[in-house]
Amino acid sequence: MPTIESVRAILAELAQAPVPEDLDSSLFEAGVIDSFGVMDLVERLEKAFGIRIPDQDMVPRRFESISKIARYVDQHKGA
Amino acid sequence: MTSILGFGAYLPARVVGHEELAAQLGVEAGWILQACGIRERRYAAADETVVDMAEKAARTCLARTGLEPSALGGLLVGTGTPQRQFPGVSADLQRRLGFQGLALDVHLASCGGLVALVLAAELASRLGPVLVVASEKMSEVVQRHPAKETTILFGDGAGACVVSPDRGFLEIQDWIASSDGTFAEDLCMDPGGPLVMNGRQVIMQANRKLTGAVRSLLARTGTPSGDIGLFLFHQANLNLLKQVAKTLGIGEDKVFVNLETRGNTSSASLLIAASEAQDQGRFRSGEAGLMAAFGSGFTCGALQFRTA
Repeated sequence: MPTIESVRAILAELAQAPVPEDLDSSLFEAGVIDSFGVMDLVERLEKAFGIRIPDQDMVPRRFESISKIARYVDQHKGA
Repeated sequence: MTSILGFGAYLPARVVGHEELAAQLGVEAGWILQACGIRERRYAAADETVVDMAEKAARTCLARTGLEPSALGGLLVGTGTPQRQFPGVSADLQRRLGFQGLALDVHLASCGGLVALVLAAELASRLGPVLVVASEKMSEVVQRHPAKETTILFGDGAGACVVSPDRGFLEIQDWIASSDGTFAEDLCMDPGGPLVMNGRQVIMQANRKLTGAVRSLLARTGTPSGDIGLFLFHQANLNLLKQVAKTLGIGEDKVFVNLETRGNTSSASLLIAASEAQDQGRFRSGEAGLMAAFGSGFTCGALQFRTA
C-alpha cells in the first residue's frame, strides 16, 4: 500500500473528525488530531513503518498534513 | 541509603475557580475543563511572597520529620518565579530558618522540584540532611499578561521534603534526568515578560520525554512497571497525565492526581502532590513508587523509591 494510503488509514482510526481529502490540509486545524492525539499517531507510525522518530523530530509541523507525514515516513523507512 | 524523610506543603487561601477565569478571559467555563481539567487553583495574596510560601511548606515538612532547622546541612529551592535575580529564594529562606550550610536555587520552573530532589540525593552524603523546597507564585505571571492558554493552567503553592543520608520513609533507589536545550524557546519567560508556551510542542515533547525517562529508569532498576504502586508526576495538565499513563500502559488508579483543585503549580506541583499523597496514606510499606517531571529547557527526570 502506498505510504499516503497507509497514513490515511492510520489517521482514520485515530481521527476525531473526518480526514480531509486534501493532502496538504492541516490536520490540527481540521480537528482530525490534537496535541495529545498526535502522540498516538507517532506510536502508530513507528509501529506500522518500523521507524523510530527521534525527539528532535517530534515537532508539530512534521505531522501537520498527510503529505508531510508521508514524506517523513518515506525518508526514514529502511534508514 | 539515601532517603526522603517526609513531605510538607502549603497552599494559599484564595480559591480561584474556572468560572472566575472564564469570565476574565472571555471563554466558556466548560472549555477550561476540557482543555486542562482544572476546576480551581489557589492564588497567593498580593503581599504573600514565594519565600513566605516556601517557609510555610518547609516548616510543615520539618515538623512532620521531627527535624530542627539546625540539623540541616543544605537547602535547595526549585522556583521559576523568584522575587529577584540574586541571591535566590534559598538565601531568604535560609535566613528565616536559621541554619548553617549550602543554600541555592534550582531555576528550572516545572522540573525544578524533581531536579532539586535528585541533587539533594547526591549531596546528602556530604552535607547531611538537605531540605528541598519548591515554591511558585505563578498567578503573578499569568495575571500580569493574561492569555487563555496559560492563565487557565497555573496556580500558586509550595512543597517540601527532607533528603537524608540515612534510612527513612522513602528509600531513593535511582534517578535519571537530562535536558534538551533545542527547545528552549518553546517554553520560556524573560524577566517581567509573558510566559511563552508553544502548547503543541510542549505536549509532544513532554509526553515523549516523560515516558522515555520512566521507561529508561525502570529498565535500569530492572523493575517491571506493574511493580510500581504509585506514580507521582508533575501536575501539568490532566489530559497530558492521562496520555502519559496510556502510553506507559499504567492504570490511572496508580497515578496520583490533585490537578483538578491545585492547578499547575510549576516546580512545586510534584512536592505538593507527594505531600498530599503522604497525607492520604498512598505510600504503602514495601511498595516501589516513581516520581517524574518535565519542564522548561525541556528538562525531564524520574526518581524511583521504595517505601520503608
